[in-house]
Amino acid sequence: MALPLPPGLTPPEIAFLCEMELVTIIPRQRLEGLKLLGGPTPPLTPPHRTNLPLWLALLLKRQKRANIAPPPWLSPSSLGEILDLETGLSTFSPPPNLSFKPLSSTSTSTPTPISPPFTPSSTASAPSDALPYHWLELGEILLEAAADDFDDPDAVRRLLRDLRDARMAKVRAMVEKLEAGGGVRIAGVGGMEVAEGRAFLGGVVDGLRKIEARREKEEDGGGSGDDDMDDL
Amino acid sequence: MGEVQFEGLVAMSSYYDIDSILTDAQKVPCTFELTVPGLGYIDGNLGQDMKQGTKVELPLWLGEMLAVSNNITLDNPSCLSPRVLNALKADPKTVDLRALAPHFYGLGARMLELYPYPDLIDTLSDTLKTRAAVIADQAHNPRGAIGEGADFLRGLDETERQLFRAAHDSAKGVRMWIAVQKKK
Repeated sequence: MALPLPPGLTPPEIAFLCEMELVTIIPRQRLEGLKLLGGPTPPLTPPHRTNLPLWLALLLKRQKRANIAPPPWLSPSSLGEILDLETGLSTFSPPPNLSFKPLSSTSTSTPTPISPPFTPSSTASAPSDALPYHWLELGEILLEAAADDFDDPDAVRRLLRDLRDARMAKVRAMVEKLEAGGGVRIAGVGGMEVAEGRAFLGGVVDGLRKIEARREKEEDGGGSGDDDMDDL
Repeated sequence: MGEVQFEGLVAMSSYYDIDSILTDAQKVPCTFELTVPGLGYIDGNLGQDMKQGTKVELPLWLGEMLAVSNNITLDNPSCLSPRVLNALKADPKTVDLRALAPHFYGLGARMLELYPYPDLIDTLSDTLKTRAAVIADQAHNPRGAIGEGADFLRGLDETERQLFRAAHDSAKGVRMWIAVQKKK
């Protein structure tokens, strides 16, 4: 109750998590592999492309030691196709297929199921037809830090804005489907969109729960109705 | 957030919640079932007895306690009258909930705890959902609060105002992050 922040993550926190995503860079200078807490980074040799975490890639980019290759889905043609798909669907465009194998250069152990940010969903080899979990954050960060690595940054920026508007309208339309007791499938929603919709949608569900508390109690058979209230 | 539950009513669900306290302070019409000596001052008759069958408006917390002990009966408050509910069924967006009761949904939920109105649950849920969709649109539209949405926003009850604020603040948070990103 005394916490100043609402539940969930704030946009800067989500952007921070997004910086763990792997991106592909084209190094301009030689750099030995670094032994970091999150695992060793591959050594950089100038003409060869390498996958690095976004935060390190941004650091090298700001020092003009590397160029960042934008992921395939962040091209005007892919974004245009996804936007067409998005405006035609009443649901969100499907997330990318997550059945990647872990990259051999970053993982030596046996393949285990992995989820963002450990999937290479934003490297140069990522699928071009679907938006990954951190699409909005990654797009905005790359457009600001590495605009010169894009062919047409203004078109990408415009398409990102259109996509965001189209998808946020869907998040808002979701209230019609909400129920006090039921869940809603929101596959394909990005991290920043969850952060943006959480407070509002959570508030609506809270309101519905208060109104329908009576019905829940009756369905539970009266006496045992307080069990699920304690879970909150 | 422990909840003390007696006799089927959640009485202390949020002890320090100001909205819960204000909800309880809303007046509901009550009818006295028995004559109470010396209580006439509530009705403006100083020193008289409160006659059986007298209708008075009492705060919800008091009316609830007296109703549970069968001293009075709680009548349906005017904001939950059939006329209002029919208006809500017809078009939830045009009803000024704030004029009816500042904590409309809270009052509705509390009345539902006392008496089962199966129809009321559906009407209130549908009202909240329909109005929430409009609230979200208005909260994301920078001109919403001053343009044509002003009348609707003035009619929001306290729960809906909090929803508006939540939707507005989270959208603002993301916009702020994008703006800060640009400054770097």
